[in-house]
Amino acid sequence: MWSFYTFILLIFGFVSVLDAKSSSGNSVLVILDPARQPDYSIFFNGLKEKGYDLTFRAPKDEAPVLIEDDIPSFAHVILFAPDSKHFGKDVTPQALVQLLSSQTNLLIALGQKQNLVTSLAPEFSLILPPPGSSLVSYFPERKEPPTVVPIDVPSSSKILSSSSSPVWFSGVPFALGNNPLVFPILSAPAEGFAADSEGSTADALFDAADKGGEGLWAGSQLAVAAGFQALGGARATWVGGVELFSDEFAKKEISKGVKSGNQQAAADLAAWTFQESLVLRIDSTTHHLVGTSVPKEHYTTNDVVEYVAQISRFNPSKDKWEPYSGLDDLQLEFTMLDPHIRTALPPVPGSPGKYAVTFRVPDRHGVFKFVVDYKRKGWTHLQSSTTVPVVPPRHDGYPRFLSAAWPYYAGAISTSLGFFLFSAIYLAGDPREGNLRGLRAKSTKAQ
Amino acid sequence: MSTAYPLPTNLSTTTVTNTASLLRIVALGLISAAAIASRLFAVINFESIIHEFDPWFNYRATRVLASQGFYEFWNWFDPTAWYPLGRVVGGTVYPGLMATSGVIYNFLHAFHLPVDIRNICVLLAPGFSALTAWATYMFTKEMKDESAGLLAAAFIGIVPGYISRSVAGSYDNEAIAIFLLMFTFYCWIKALKTGSALFGTLAAVFYFYMVAAWGGYAFITNMIPVHALTLMLMGRFSSRLYVAYCSWYAIGTLSSMQVPFVGFQPVRTSEHMGALGVFGLLQIVAFAQLARSHLSSKQFQNLLTVSVVAMGVVGTFGFIALTYMGWIAPWTGRFYSLWDTGYAKKYIPIIASVSEHQPTAWPSFFMDLQLLIFLFPAGVILCFRELRDEHVFVIIYSVVASYFAGVMVRLMLTLTPVVCVSSAVAFSSLIDTYLDPTQPEGEEESEADSSNGTNTAATPSKKEKAKKPAASTSALNDIVTAATSQSSSKSKSKGIWGLDTRLIVIVNAIGMLSFFVFHCTWVTANAYSSPSVVLASTNPDGSQHIIDDFREAYYWLRQNTPQDAVVMSWWDYGYQIAGMADRPTLVDNNTWNNSKSHIATVGKAMSSSEEVAYPILRKHDVDYVLVIFGGLLGYSGDDINKFLWMVRIAQGVWPDEIQEPNYFTPQGEYRVDDRASSAMKNSLMYKMSYYRFAELFGGNNAMDRVRQQTMPKVGPTLDYLDEAFTSENWIVRIYQVRKEDLLGRDLKSANAFAQGKKKKKSKPVSRRKAIPV
Repeated sequence: MWSFYTFILLIFGFVSVLDAKSSSGNSVLVILDPARQPDYSIFFNGLKEKGYDLTFRAPKDEAPVLIEDDIPSFAHVILFAPDSKHFGKDVTPQALVQLLSSQTNLLIALGQKQNLVTSLAPEFSLILPPPGSSLVSYFPERKEPPTVVPIDVPSSSKILSSSSSPVWFSGVPFALGNNPLVFPILSAPAEGFAADSEGSTADALFDAADKGGEGLWAGSQLAVAAGFQALGGARATWVGGVELFSDEFAKKEISKGVKSGNQQAAADLAAWTFQESLVLRIDSTTHHLVGTSVPKEHYTTNDVVEYVAQISRFNPSKDKWEPYSGLDDLQLEFTMLDPHIRTALPPVPGSPGKYAVTFRVPDRHGVFKFVVDYKRKGWTHLQSSTTVPVVPPRHDGYPRFLSAAWPYYAGAISTSLGFFLFSAIYLAGDPREGNLRGLRAKSTKAQ
Repeated sequence: MSTAYPLPTNLSTTTVTNTASLLRIVALGLISAAAIASRLFAVINFESIIHEFDPWFNYRATRVLASQGFYEFWNWFDPTAWYPLGRVVGGTVYPGLMATSGVIYNFLHAFHLPVDIRNICVLLAPGFSALTAWATYMFTKEMKDESAGLLAAAFIGIVPGYISRSVAGSYDNEAIAIFLLMFTFYCWIKALKTGSALFGTLAAVFYFYMVAAWGGYAFITNMIPVHALTLMLMGRFSSRLYVAYCSWYAIGTLSSMQVPFVGFQPVRTSEHMGALGVFGLLQIVAFAQLARSHLSSKQFQNLLTVSVVAMGVVGTFGFIALTYMGWIAPWTGRFYSLWDTGYAKKYIPIIASVSEHQPTAWPSFFMDLQLLIFLFPAGVILCFRELRDEHVFVIIYSVVASYFAGVMVRLMLTLTPVVCVSSAVAFSSLIDTYLDPTQPEGEEESEADSSNGTNTAATPSKKEKAKKPAASTSALNDIVTAATSQSSSKSKSKGIWGLDTRLIVIVNAIGMLSFFVFHCTWVTANAYSSPSVVLASTNPDGSQHIIDDFREAYYWLRQNTPQDAVVMSWWDYGYQIAGMADRPTLVDNNTWNNSKSHIATVGKAMSSSEEVAYPILRKHDVDYVLVIFGGLLGYSGDDINKFLWMVRIAQGVWPDEIQEPNYFTPQGEYRVDDRASSAMKNSLMYKMSYYRFAELFGGNNAMDRVRQQTMPKVGPTLDYLDEAFTSENWIVRIYQVRKEDLLGRDLKSANAFAQGKKKKKSKPVSRRKAIPV
């Protein structure tokens, strides 16, 4: 019986090893002091079980390099060296940004000391408190020191499993700039603030805010974990303290008998960072006249056009892209300099992953673009732009006869008829008639 | 009768006539050959290439026409021009030129002559110049006689004023328009002289062709009515005038409205109202003539006074009312700039920025017309001597065209034909007088001088001379005196005495003609045969050095950028980029477009700082920016020299953001060196032109050879653009617009970060105030 369970577990383990992986690759480089590697065994083992391929490198090592011949060597990089002063010479802030631009995801932990990581953070619109600060909170009352803070997982979080219990955190909180690409994953508690030492109080904080002009480092506007969705598609996650991932915090109980949510939160953070969760893509877009199915090279003004987009979402448990109809706020723009039409692009009921809208092309010729630009915090950005010229009607595409033009038609017809009648009478008329004498004289003259 | 030199007497009149007409045909043939040949300098010195700017569009359009047929051309919407507005080419183009080439192309291909469309386009202008010579011959023949016609044909064949627009490769509307202009005028004169509805209709047909070919058709639209009106005012109304004008106007106007680009303009715009008014006036006058023949003179006088006043009042008020109600479009800016040369600079800088819209400099009259400019007034005065209806036409034409040629350089082209015609009239009168062998009474016999015709150089004047003695060798009553009948019959007591007098004048005249030929050849070869796409310079050893930067850069774009990469440049280069690089452009030479704000947008982007320009570039999907920089080579037609126009045009739309004085130094100088104003130094155009320019001089002082100014040692830096390509002589520089930063930073700080600079520490945006407890 026991062996049967083991067998089942093994099977499950196997399946998960085979299937559960990221949408962008499995190789992970972990930059971490080897001495501290065992401290995070639960987190790393979890990753390994999911099928990731971990490579460890001490901060000061030179190999394996991050980028070789301009091609990143790994799909994901974990930087758990908040206290290292020196790094291998290929690990620079510029190199890390270059990694992001070549679709490598970053999971970065901040520390209290000034180093490479703290100088990189401002580029991501993270605003760090003065060096040496850490998050301090005296609530709720507990036996742990005030710098070890339990933080509730927000129930609305898409990234973290909302059902998990509070997460232990110890480290640096940071404020977020107004960059729309960065968003908090885990906010600091409302009672928390950043302070130099354990003993400092709120009064000291106010004094500092007043005197040094450092600003107010307090409250839930501060974040302890933030996600950054780079424009190229890569993701970066910043965590204020590396202890969040540690075995110690994972095993530490929140209250009697309630396990902390750290293990789950760490796994969720990694899953989002490594593009397992909330990953979308546009498989295809097409456009055609209503009633036909072939896209036209150009449309005529006032044509009625249907635009169709096919959208998939990555399913990490099956390692498969699946059609996804869950987006209800997708929009389509028909743009020339400015959007001439902006309309909802709703999912088509009955066909999974298909979003379609029908609209009338504006009465304006020019080079238009079908633009889908879907940027939501946490989700992959969806961007698609299809250029199509809108042309005026062809020379024979206008209405041929206009009822408004009847006066002109009547004029032309009556003139033609009159000319015809005149010619006929003039030519065939009898010159012997007395009252046509003048005419006769003329016609004889003409002869 | 005594003659100055012996004449053969045994020739029959028929022989003389036949020989004369044969010689005329030969002469015309040779004139055509000379006209075509002198236009081939460009092909021989460079290659068979389309010139300048506008011809590149015409060429591109012709290719579409030749490959896809007329209907596709008519419906052609060009999505690559004026990106993203696009251009409805069929409705915004005078299709006559392209249609002509297309017909020639299809004609040749129907005979299985696989001529490349490019060669047809390149050689179309020289071919039509031969036709122009013929049309001018026909026109002048109506003015005086065949010999004047031949002279005029020879003049127009080689005169630089016309060659400037019709060398091989100059594939522009003017290439065929001058032929059409002259032929329409010929038909009009013929119709007027004979009162023939057929010639009136022919004039209308060629007028239609002209309308389809060139925007300058408005010249005909107003010349003929002015002529008709003048004739009426001179009391020369006749049924011939009535028939000629009415048939021309009715058919011409209706057919001109078939051109999509013209549409309803002939009945809606002020430029065409003159023709309509004269048409109406003719009807009234004709009716008045009819009434006069049926009424007593007293009644007629009353009727005339009343009706003239009533018509005048009604007509004027009607015109004003219609203009105010918007039925008749007011005069366009280009029209105003014809009367007030400062108008364009004040109100429409785009028009003023075109160099060919500038007033003509005096030397260019001599340059373009040489000898003819002196003969021209003489010819006009000779027209006054006879003052038949057609002479009135030439007089009006000379006055009007002289004025316009003084106002706008490009209108020199319309002046040239009438200069040729009236000079030919003057010159042939001179020759007639001095070659006329009739001696005044009592003149002794002088020795024969048959060498007159053979001692001249191989020039058109030779052909003229060769014909002249032949014509005058006999039967002078028939030919010579036919033209100068009055003078020869009266020259019994007054006249030219002796051969020596004759010789002095004739030899002088021939000398002038030969100098004219040399001048024309020299000007054609040196001034008007440069394609301007390819530049030529001379090496120290005298050999030619070709500077091919433009094509180098355009082919780089063609080969190295995606098909849909949008290129921004100043509008001068739009057609060339479209034609040679085949890439979408933001603005091009089609500046009549209603999207003037689009040009202003480009002007603003060029004259703003990088931070301001970048959103504009991104909004218009610009991938590459192209600038022309002549500072290294001393090419003065570069963008920095045109820069003030960009500023002015942008200022017209955004007076708050762009101000011209900011681009000058406080002393009011236009400088690019250390003392340049900060707006100048920060402008995108300045930065793109001088980016890394100083490095080229390796620490020495960088020298801008166009402005003759020493550039600062440290050149400008670029954060939002990357240098993509710089041509061999740095004339064309292409920059790639960077994409938005990956991390959402502005590119300036992203660039600073990439270069390892530390970012300034920022503070959290505090949404709550700290309230001490």
